[in-house]
Amino acid sequence: MLSINDLHARVEDTTILKGLDLEIKPGEVHAIMGPNGAGKSTLGYVLSGRDGYEVESGSVEMNGKDLLDMEVEERAQAGIFLAFQYPVEIPGVSNMEFMKESVNAIREARGENALSSAEFLKKAKDACKQVELPLDFLKRGVNEGFSGGEKKRNEIMQLIMLEPKLAILDESDSGLDVDALQVVAKGVNSQRDGERSFIVVTHYQRLLDYIQPDYVHIISNGKIVKSGGPELAKEVEASGYAWLAEAEGVDA
Amino acid sequence: MSQWLNHVLERASTVDDWLSPVRAQALDTLKQQQWPTRRTEAWRYTSLHPVADLELKAASVNATAEAPLIEGLNSLDLVFVDGQLNTDISQLKLPEGVTISELSAPSQTAEALFAQVKPSRHLFGLVNDVLAQQGVVIDIAAGAKVEQPIRIVNFASAGIESHQRTLVRVGENAQATIIEHGSGSGNSLNTAFAEYDIAEKARLEHYRFALHEGEAIHIGGSHFKLHDHAKLNSTLIGYGSQLTRLDVDIEHAGEHAFAKFNNVYLLAPRQHFDLHSTIEHASPNGTTEENARGIIGDRAKAVFNGRIHIHRHAQKTLAELNNRNLLLTRGAQINTKPELEIYADDVQCAHGATVAEIDEDALYYMLTRGIDKQQALVMLNFGFVQEMVSQMPNKALADWLQPILKTRFESMMEQQ
Repeated sequence: MLSINDLHARVEDTTILKGLDLEIKPGEVHAIMGPNGAGKSTLGYVLSGRDGYEVESGSVEMNGKDLLDMEVEERAQAGIFLAFQYPVEIPGVSNMEFMKESVNAIREARGENALSSAEFLKKAKDACKQVELPLDFLKRGVNEGFSGGEKKRNEIMQLIMLEPKLAILDESDSGLDVDALQVVAKGVNSQRDGERSFIVVTHYQRLLDYIQPDYVHIISNGKIVKSGGPELAKEVEASGYAWLAEAEGVDA
Repeated sequence: MSQWLNHVLERASTVDDWLSPVRAQALDTLKQQQWPTRRTEAWRYTSLHPVADLELKAASVNATAEAPLIEGLNSLDLVFVDGQLNTDISQLKLPEGVTISELSAPSQTAEALFAQVKPSRHLFGLVNDVLAQQGVVIDIAAGAKVEQPIRIVNFASAGIESHQRTLVRVGENAQATIIEHGSGSGNSLNTAFAEYDIAEKARLEHYRFALHEGEAIHIGGSHFKLHDHAKLNSTLIGYGSQLTRLDVDIEHAGEHAFAKFNNVYLLAPRQHFDLHSTIEHASPNGTTEENARGIIGDRAKAVFNGRIHIHRHAQKTLAELNNRNLLLTRGAQINTKPELEIYADDVQCAHGATVAEIDEDALYYMLTRGIDKQQALVMLNFGFVQEMVSQMPNKALADWLQPILKTRFESMMEQQ
């Protein structure tokens, strides 16, 4: 459903992705691991179309369509969802209003009817329950004053509501204790239906104990340097990323 | 010196009516005024260049217009076209306790209020004093609870110079709602000043809509005097035009008076809007809450000067002034200046001004959720304006204004 070919991208004058290849089929979960600065988060931003992340060369196709040619909101409407490492606070816009606008924009793009208020509310309540987010969070400003863990759960709540084709989780485990991590993982796992694909970006193996990936890729210096099954994550856990520096002769 | 002001002085000498003795005083003061330049503090950020040599016609007597309909408002409308009263007051069915007369007809209320509430420092207020021959005088009898809003509609047509005056007395314990509804988009000059005397325990709900646009020049003011336990709830909405300048003065003359003053300005590209507000706490135990919020489009310029003056005897005053602005582009401009002068020691006074630009991170976050850009910008940036509108006590007015301001904001975004 997604093919990334020889992708080079930069932020300002610094090239961060330097020839990244990745092939994802429907229903697959791909974990992307790597040291800080390897380009993990950049991949999520480039796929979502963030301003300032400029593609130098290469291609990204989603179900045969040129993803890089689409605007940020068109990518979301086409089924890309990015769970942010640092979700943005938007005071003055309630979570409810935000999600309603969002769900209906995506439904409209898919040719579906807008949800009625009652239908929306039911769906929102169910999603909150799944990630153990109290219902009054719907009335609060988007992420406004939420703790780190609440923000991460709010991201997964959105994932559940928006039913994307490809969800990119950008360090959804960072800053979470084990209990919160399990809640996030449970929410994500509930969305694995054999069709929906995932890119799980993480620094640590820990998250992958709860979200079992089909493939694990190690990214270093802007490209994937090693791919394997879940066992590769365990290897990283045991030996860290220092071996990358030796293997490549670059700073990890 | 200004050619235009010279003509004003000439014309003033030909005005002859029952108010002439008061006008003569104003004329004396006016003659001593210097034409404001950028070095004049009150006009520092607003150039009077468009007025200096302006030559426009006086109003034609035959012009007519319909007041814009506001659904559910059911207001009593007094319509002025280019300063000329277009409504036959004698035919109006007035609510109980309401007396309305024309400025041209001698009345005690007019005599007591004309140029009495409005401070004489406003240059264009003095111009209005000497030239405004048409206007209305509204008297709300003591104890009258007037449900029906009274609306003064002011149209300014292209090519015309006009001056209009409103005088209102709200009697003891009385309640009333007054709306000043001005508009015009052609090259015109309109001055409109209103003076309100709010007696003991009286309540005034007030709105001023300065919906002038394009080439219109609109200069005016609303001035309020609050007596013991009087309450004022005022909302001002401004669009900005070639030049819009408004002065609002609220004087706490009596004790335990309360004033809430909200204002919103939404400036389309290249428009100018200047609001100077002055709150005089001359007596103890007064409360003022003032909130000004603006969105400023490309190369548009807004000026907000909010002064709070707490006199030496005005102990136990509570005063808050807040101004928030959003600049839509780097070319948009706001000059904001809260000014506090406090001579009493037992008061609570807070002020703040913020200027923000579009939050790109929040915008990106919304786009990644599939929300289109226009809609995201409205959601992100319109909320703080919406909040002011939703605080308007009159629901029909809020319901009318809400979509109008939203559409205006959307078109401002499209013009970026």
